[in-house]
Amino acid sequence: MARWGMVINLNKCIGCYTCMLACKQEHYLPPNMFWARVLVGELGKYPAVRKQEYPVLCNHCKDAACVSVCPTGATTKREDGIVMIDYDKCVGCRYCVMACPYQQRTFYGDDKKEYFPGQGFTEWEVLGRKLYPLEKGTVVKCTFCVERVDEGQKKGLKPGMDREATPACVIACPAKARYFGDLDDPASEVSRLVSERKASQLSPEFNTNPSIYYIAR
Amino acid sequence: MKPYEWMVKCTPQTEWIVKRGVLLWLAFFFIELGAGAYFVGSFFGSLVSMSIGWVVCGVLGGGLHLLYLGRPLRFFRMFAKPKTSWISRGMIFVTSFMILGFFNIVLRFFSVSVNVLSWLVIVLAFLVVIYGGFAMCCINGIPLWNTALLPILYVVSGLWGGAGITVGVAVATGSAQILIGVEEWIHLLLISFIILLFTYLLSISYGSIAAKTSVSEIVKGKGWHVFWVVVVIIGIGVPVGMMMANTQSAPAAILYITLLCELLGDLGMRYLILKFGFYNPLIPTNT
Repeated sequence: MARWGMVINLNKCIGCYTCMLACKQEHYLPPNMFWARVLVGELGKYPAVRKQEYPVLCNHCKDAACVSVCPTGATTKREDGIVMIDYDKCVGCRYCVMACPYQQRTFYGDDKKEYFPGQGFTEWEVLGRKLYPLEKGTVVKCTFCVERVDEGQKKGLKPGMDREATPACVIACPAKARYFGDLDDPASEVSRLVSERKASQLSPEFNTNPSIYYIAR
Repeated sequence: MKPYEWMVKCTPQTEWIVKRGVLLWLAFFFIELGAGAYFVGSFFGSLVSMSIGWVVCGVLGGGLHLLYLGRPLRFFRMFAKPKTSWISRGMIFVTSFMILGFFNIVLRFFSVSVNVLSWLVIVLAFLVVIYGGFAMCCINGIPLWNTALLPILYVVSGLWGGAGITVGVAVATGSAQILIGVEEWIHLLLISFIILLFTYLLSISYGSIAAKTSVSEIVKGKGWHVFWVVVVIIGIGVPVGMMMANTQSAPAAILYITLLCELLGDLGMRYLILKFGFYNPLIPTNT
């Protein structure tokens, strides 16, 4: 069974926020909710200051803190490594939101927020509620575009190689800074990048063993 | 905090204190206070204190906790994972405490004492007091919470508040014997609370950048007025003054005011710990 993971090359990332927007568009996310973000920090001292962009998203950790703290079993880890939330079981206690040291989970508390307040929902928002209904009062997060991955695999496509089976943020990146694939397959591109380019995890001191690796400068 | 500073600088948690999170702050307070009152009342045979503790813990605290949930009608699902989840364990402890505690109170009302049941409920009351602290201390993303001292601090403050309620009940019912006995507990718990609180803050201040930020905000930042006025002067100073004045013969009003000050101090401390729990920045930066 594959263990899906991602490698993000920070040398290539240009901080364009396309991944953020692609994710938002793919899942029809409501206002002020982001499942992928780009953090921008500053390193160095004047005059040798440089920007550091860090695209972040749910790390789908191997030892996910959110899975162990969930009191209802709504948050589970699939065999392929994707951490999923069962919206029918979630009670909205937000313990997982607190427990995630990467803060990549969001509580969906207000289903009446409009992109254009006072003007009703746009057609896009209405469509989103039909295609990707989120349940009010539950916690939501990045799913590695699991519907794309699963559907693609059913069609015999390879996630990470074929666009239809790959997460939206990966295929949208104009700089091709993101790679998706099977971390347990030594021949996959992600495994090769992790070992050859010495990719590292974000904040490994949390001991959650994230499935997202970064190739730093 | 500006949106571009989120997780680039130390980021405060918001789910458990902001807006609807206030309900959870109060829920933890009432649950532990009520269980503490039941615990102390059990040792001194104060049925009224036990009853008040039961109501405060289950009805007030439990009710507020359920109101906080995004989908409260699904609360029964929270019993599913006691193996790994402290919230699940807490639900089991609180529910068991409520059921068995009720029976214990009823039996005692009819002067029927079942030792096994009494001791079981005392143990459950202690577990109810302590589970909130453990639920928070296992969150390793927030250094202010991720310390072994937090559950102990919460236990001492819960029992201290509970003992205060028992004193209030003893004064109201004229039970001098209970009053004398509980006052000794209160003095011990007060001293323990003071030592623990300052040890906790001092030890946290030697930690990571988020830990230092938390303590700094509490002691001299945005939380300084709550810390120094509500927790130190009102919550600790007034009870210490009463302790030193040796006030067994003080008017009831003075004792009630002291109790109120204790509870305010406890509430203020819990507010600060929730409000100023910061996450470490995610990415390396200059700040």
